[in-house]
Amino acid sequence: MGIIKGALELTGRKTLKMFADAGSVAVMLMDAVRMIPKRPFRLKLLLKQIEFIGANSVPIVILTGIFTGMVFGLQCYVGFRNFGAESMAGTIVALAMIRELGPVLSSIMVAARAGSAMTAELGTMKVTEQIDALYSMAVDPVHYLMVPRLTASMIAMPLMNGICILFGLLGGYFVNVIVMGTNASMYYDNSVLYVNGADIFNSMFKALVFGIIIASICCYNGFNTKMGAEGVGKATTTAVVQSCVLILMFDYIMTSFLV
Amino acid sequence: MPNMIEMTDVHKSFGRQKVHSGINLNVVKGAITVIIGPSGTGKSVLLKEMMGLVLPDSGKITVDGVDIETATKSRLLELRKKFGMLFQNAALFDSMTVSENVAFPLKEHTAMTEREIKSAVADRLRMVGLSGADDKYPSELSGGMKKRVGLARALALEPEIMLYDEPTTGLDPIMTDVVDDLIFDTQKKLDITSVVISHDIRSVLKIADYIGMIYNGKIVRYGTPEDFRTTDDPYVRQFFSGSKDGPIKVY
Repeated sequence: MGIIKGALELTGRKTLKMFADAGSVAVMLMDAVRMIPKRPFRLKLLLKQIEFIGANSVPIVILTGIFTGMVFGLQCYVGFRNFGAESMAGTIVALAMIRELGPVLSSIMVAARAGSAMTAELGTMKVTEQIDALYSMAVDPVHYLMVPRLTASMIAMPLMNGICILFGLLGGYFVNVIVMGTNASMYYDNSVLYVNGADIFNSMFKALVFGIIIASICCYNGFNTKMGAEGVGKATTTAVVQSCVLILMFDYIMTSFLV
Repeated sequence: MPNMIEMTDVHKSFGRQKVHSGINLNVVKGAITVIIGPSGTGKSVLLKEMMGLVLPDSGKITVDGVDIETATKSRLLELRKKFGMLFQNAALFDSMTVSENVAFPLKEHTAMTEREIKSAVADRLRMVGLSGADDKYPSELSGGMKKRVGLARALALEPEIMLYDEPTTGLDPIMTDVVDDLIFDTQKKLDITSVVISHDIRSVLKIADYIGMIYNGKIVRYGTPEDFRTTDDPYVRQFFSGSKDGPIKVY
């Protein structure tokens, strides 16, 4: 009996904590959103964050895009060859990259690369009282630290998505046309045939939402870091795991509304 | 004399650890109040409560007549502009240089030009004996130097209330004297209200207008330096003589 009771209690406690955390993240996000138009505008900090979240993520996003496009192109080619429809591989690669793989994979890479650093930086500031110091100088840490990171993520994430998609398409093209020898114009025609403007718009919208998720989860975990170096490590892990899981969950939720 | 900060029956615990069990303390306006007491008795928490960085579990804290607990977030930010705080570990921004740290509050809250800020920063750094350290990063400074930069940053806006968390711990005897004088002089010159946490008996007796001794979550004695010098209160005598035998339990 004791074990069952203990297990139930644990589940209950964890569930309550999960909802409480979700609520706190939402409140903090709303707080940050309301502060975006508030002066002073910290353009320098914003540019620095765009550089960090966006520009510095370009190489890894390119690699992710290229190899995903290549392997996906190869699998599609092999699969479609069974019934002689190799040239249709381009359609699948294009639709998959634009609708799903581009936004999801690029944002997971950004969460792992920039989100983790965001949490570690804010977490270290928290445990060394630098965030308290901001408060003590009457500067709201949400305005000073979170707003630039949030806006930078919202600007950078759709751009990262575009780069990922572009290089994914190139990767697919490379494997199918150059390595496997599919006719270039047929591959291209099939690639663009079924893609429309709504696909691209929805894709960018997803990337924007994922950017918001990354910034709010990573900032929240940073601000709530406890207990020294170990706490910073824990907060960073939690932030990346939560961001990735939420990206996948919200991907499904948004897709089910968008299709 | 009117009170700047009033704490009434303040209780605070972190988890199972009780830090404050009924603190009553009035900080007199325009005076230096020094808080003494053994390590780990919640002196730093006391300062953070005064500023609203940490909220008490129960009890009332008012600053200049404003109740901290019921104040709105924007009111609280406004109220904090009256404060300057020197943190125990200085809490400098480690991604900024020394001069950027000192310039930070000026950039945030004043309309000073780049040039005015530069000269103000140089002025503050000279005051704490750190001219020439402008372009160093906090990680390149010793503990005592960090503390002095923290002091320069906290005093940059000439606040109405200054909270010092162990301003002289980790400083050499000469620098201790310099910082003591700095606290004393700025207080007299700008007529600010100061709360100082200190372990340094000599400087406590030198700068304090009032002393409060905290032990076991309560203020066990409050009075003037003269009172502390002459009283035979066993807590005070043990703390002042630095003996491990007495009513203050170490183990």
